[in-house]
Amino acid sequence: MFRFILRRTGSAVVLLLVLSAIIFVLQAVSPGDPVKAYLGANASPEAIAAKREELGLNAPLYAQYLRFIANLLHGDLGQSFRTHRPVLTDLQSFLPATLELVLFSFVVAVLLGVLFAVSGSLRLKGGALFRGPLLLLAAAPPFLLALGGIVLFYAQLGVLPASGRGVDSSSPTGFVVLDSIITGQPDAIGLTFQHLLLPGVVLAIAPAIAIGRILRSSLDVTMSADYVRTAESKGLTPFAVLRRHVVRNSIGPGLSMAGLQLGFMFAGVVVVEQIFSWPGIGNYLAGSIPVSDFPAIAGVTLVLGTVYIVTNAVVDILQVAADPRLAA
Amino acid sequence: MTALPEVGTRRFRMPAASLGAHAGTRLSVAILVALGILTLVALFARLLAPYDPVQPIGALNLAPGAEGHPLGTDSIGRDILSRTLIGVQVSWFSSLIIVASGLVIGGLIGVAAGVFGGWVDAALMRFTDLFLALPGTLVAIAIVAALGYNLQNTLIGIAVVWWPYYARIIRGEVKSFAARPHVEAARVAGASRTRIVFRHIVPGVVPTAIVTASLDIGNVVLLLAGLSFLGLGQPAPAPELGADTARNLSQLLSEWWVPVIPGLAVLVLSLLSNLGGDAVRTLLAKRR
Repeated sequence: MFRFILRRTGSAVVLLLVLSAIIFVLQAVSPGDPVKAYLGANASPEAIAAKREELGLNAPLYAQYLRFIANLLHGDLGQSFRTHRPVLTDLQSFLPATLELVLFSFVVAVLLGVLFAVSGSLRLKGGALFRGPLLLLAAAPPFLLALGGIVLFYAQLGVLPASGRGVDSSSPTGFVVLDSIITGQPDAIGLTFQHLLLPGVVLAIAPAIAIGRILRSSLDVTMSADYVRTAESKGLTPFAVLRRHVVRNSIGPGLSMAGLQLGFMFAGVVVVEQIFSWPGIGNYLAGSIPVSDFPAIAGVTLVLGTVYIVTNAVVDILQVAADPRLAA
Repeated sequence: MTALPEVGTRRFRMPAASLGAHAGTRLSVAILVALGILTLVALFARLLAPYDPVQPIGALNLAPGAEGHPLGTDSIGRDILSRTLIGVQVSWFSSLIIVASGLVIGGLIGVAAGVFGGWVDAALMRFTDLFLALPGTLVAIAIVAALGYNLQNTLIGIAVVWWPYYARIIRGEVKSFAARPHVEAARVAGASRTRIVFRHIVPGVVPTAIVTASLDIGNVVLLLAGLSFLGLGQPAPAPELGADTARNLSQLLSEWWVPVIPGLAVLVLSLLSNLGGDAVRTLLAKRR
């Protein structure tokens, strides 16, 4: 177990280095000039030359890469062309909103996925009425789901808000749900949940299907095992069989898919945040793309990519903790 | 890298909406015919489009069903049907190009790794797993952002992150075929390595590769639409499905059809490709 953790952590570090190397190379070929981001377009040639020297842009490439890594480790992601603030400062203020949305959405995805798998595997009556539409929705681009959700639940029914988080993001921790719980404001909790609902569900549909399908096929395999038939023939109800004999033996693939999907959701969140004006890191990325703000784009890629890589490593380790046979 | 990421990553691109998993032969053929028609429509989109997609030609914001504009017009009076047709052309052929590039690059690497084995296999698969474990969408976004926004760079960005999945699957198939008796027999009979690879192994891998690719097209359609929505595609005023939705978002609550119709076209493309993937799988499974 310990060896596995060590090995998996090591491979995550290698991945992070590769990701940073890719970003470094892209930064070198990207047309934007980081010096002008600091000094503005009208800086004097002397000031530009001095800043180039200061930023180490005259050094050989390998030295620049080492410096890039050192800067990353110090949290220096460069300066945004658009906001003229350090990218790290920007990201710090936007990350909590993204984490909140993705985690909420992940819970929804797991619930929907389990419902999908169990209703299919137990052949529950009416289950197809749930699975069919879900499958159809999963084929739609997320932005279309978002628009449909806004038209239906905001414009037509008027029951859900269509943009923002409902409260000021500059709350103490940045996690507004957490804050409203800590400070004991039930109204704020309700309001923030209302705002989470549409973007959260839209983001959850595709992962829910991925989790549901894997879980369903592993449930089906377990259900056809001899010991399950024995359990059934001694008169247990289908739910009792499921709970006592099936779930533990078939949850593995579902867990690994869930972890993987959690990683993907950090990439998928960009479009959803933009449509719902969710003040998160994805919306920041979406705003940086049209103005070719490469330092900001690189910063988001690095931060979300790190979250993705770490998530996958943690999931792998948790899986081995649950089933040591997988460490082989 | 480790044994684990494979558990999920090998299957990480699920056929998103496999509705016809148990469809019969007839339904499968019908779906493939529909896909063929779609491809023809995409191919001749320029001829089929009633108007120039970038020129304002009608009244502003006509609702679908208007005289001469079955899907209406947008906020500067361009024909939505014409724009959508060209958008479908761009999306469909771009997706096919990406999947083909994945097949070719992944196929070459997978076959090489499977055939040569040893350190070549180890090195190539290390490299593949590395790419497989990176956040593909984000890397693609960063690549396009660095190279500049146009369709060609978007295709490059996606192609760079898309092949590892194919390399993994094809390498696995090559390995399993190489261990089969008919390959052993060919070797004993004195066939050259080249002959064994191209006559006895590669043809056996083709069906799996085709099924994998056809189930993957829908994923590419959605990813491309997402990147286009973010502005990583053709610059305006070129018609593109994702971008046409994004550019007209502000009209959602007044003239919903302007942003929604391009999105619906993406849905149709992705749904048809998913059904087509299932159909290909069904038909190939029956042939065996």
